[in-house]
Amino acid sequence: MSRSPTWLQILSRSSAALLGGYAFSYAATACLARLLPLSPGDAVIVATLPTFIFYTLAILWAFASRDALRAWAPLAVAAPLALVGFWPQALEWLA
Amino acid sequence: MKNTFTQSMAWLHTWAGLIFGWLLFAIFVTGTLAVFDKELNHWMQAEIPATPVSQAAAAQRAIAYLQAHEPQAGNWGVSLPTERSPGLRVSTGDRRHGGGVQLDPGTGEAIAVRDSVGGNFFFRFHFTLDLPRNWGIFVVGALALVMLAALVTGIVIHKKIFKEFFTFRPNKGQRSWLDFHNASAVLLLPFHLMITYTGLVIFMLIYIPAGVDALFAGDNRAYFQAQGNSRLEQPRGLSKQPAEMVDVAPLLAQAEARLGPIAGFNIRNPNTAGARIEIRPELGNRIALSKGQAMVFDGVSGQLLSDVSEWRAAPLTQRVMVGLHFAQFGGYPMRWLYFVCGVISCVMIASGLVLFCVKRGRKYAAAEVPGHRWYRLAEVCNVGFVAGLLLACVGLLWASRLLPVELAGREAWEVRAFFGLWLLALLHAGIRPPRRAWVEQLGSAALLCIGLVAFGGLEDALRLGVAACALVLGVLLGLVAWRVQYAQPAVRNVKAGRRVEAGA
Repeated sequence: MSRSPTWLQILSRSSAALLGGYAFSYAATACLARLLPLSPGDAVIVATLPTFIFYTLAILWAFASRDALRAWAPLAVAAPLALVGFWPQALEWLA
Repeated sequence: MKNTFTQSMAWLHTWAGLIFGWLLFAIFVTGTLAVFDKELNHWMQAEIPATPVSQAAAAQRAIAYLQAHEPQAGNWGVSLPTERSPGLRVSTGDRRHGGGVQLDPGTGEAIAVRDSVGGNFFFRFHFTLDLPRNWGIFVVGALALVMLAALVTGIVIHKKIFKEFFTFRPNKGQRSWLDFHNASAVLLLPFHLMITYTGLVIFMLIYIPAGVDALFAGDNRAYFQAQGNSRLEQPRGLSKQPAEMVDVAPLLAQAEARLGPIAGFNIRNPNTAGARIEIRPELGNRIALSKGQAMVFDGVSGQLLSDVSEWRAAPLTQRVMVGLHFAQFGGYPMRWLYFVCGVISCVMIASGLVLFCVKRGRKYAAAEVPGHRWYRLAEVCNVGFVAGLLLACVGLLWASRLLPVELAGREAWEVRAFFGLWLLALLHAGIRPPRRAWVEQLGSAALLCIGLVAFGGLEDALRLGVAACALVLGVLLGLVAWRVQYAQPAVRNVKAGRRVEAGA
């Protein structure tokens, strides 16, 4: 990856920050909303308030990580988080 | 991108700051101006008198006018005179669609008032950039996220944060710009973080609807019902029978005792047995934003049908965060505090943009250096997006007074004047040498600001405040222009060096 041209690296990391970051914060919020021991109405708010902290961390990660592939790690983490968040929907879809 | 963590953060801060800084500056400037949106509305509509009149008397005059002109309408809306907005406006249909008729609060007669976008334009531009609403919200949200990332990376790369807070080395070119950028950022770091984060919170469920998707299967209506925001059902049958309505004055007094100052009221199905009077408080009665809250009374018996609801801890937290951004609480002292903090935020962004060019000036100044064309683009955009935007903002105020009152589509022409002036400033920056462009644009913005005093209206406290503030800002801009004109650190250093040599 280190041999790819600079503009490609920047493009890859920027999309990792924007898209990977969105997927990560979306999934983390869904997961948190599912796990919080609150009424659904409150859980949505309490889980969504910190979502931009997740997003910012993902952006920093995308530009700080050592190689360009690692920059996409938040996207990989998003999958299990989303699975927890949408567990009932996932079960329904399997059945 | 670079070897160490700090280096990669510095890279991100520099480039994200440059590319998104131009629009972020526009968002921060218009947001700062929107702190005084109602005062600007009042200034831009010169015909509205500022007669001191009790809200109860104004309400009765408004109802008498509606009774005479719109007895059949399904909804009457009345915006009462308040401390910040002395006009009395009546409308039929929904309040958010604007329109309506301005009345003289003293006599209840309709008065002809020029159409003007008012200070509301700055408010709307601040969160949509004047794009279609849904697009604008997402673009501004993305920019706010970049701002948040720029603030955090700024903290990371700024290692000696405490020591450098007390460091300012004036008249040292690049050093001074860096010190200035650092000091203004560190001084108000809590404000920068707060205003950016709470701005994102306003539309958080539009940006990241994950919680509603997961727990309510994406059904927004179900979510709002869970928050207890269900509306009172409208009585269908009763709204056909004519009936005599109750006097609104005692209800206003009752609502004011409960909610604090009142902004206005709506009467649904007026002149029928199903009439409902909804009285809304002013937004600034508490920190939590009370948008959408109202006390509802039966329009015939005057009985209280529904009180404002108490919020649970979670929705209250959200509303307080949104309220911190809207800055409606705390009266004028708080408003001025937000304004001054906003100005410092704008200065921080602008100094960062200038720093980018100052830092690279020596390397790319010559036309034959590779990359000169890109450097020149950054320079032109800096002038056009910083000085040019200020010029466009004050130009909007001039347009509101200079355009013919009877012009069709007047509001659209005001907006065209704003964007036209901004575009002209960008072109002007493209054809003039950079320092001249800065001086000329800042200087003309300063003159336009000072010139606002000439439009009069100084006998009215609100308009006097706008004019005085414009005068002060104009003088400050003039000083900046003067400084840019005469400060030439590089040349001065050479001269100083020569003098030392001569003396030796």
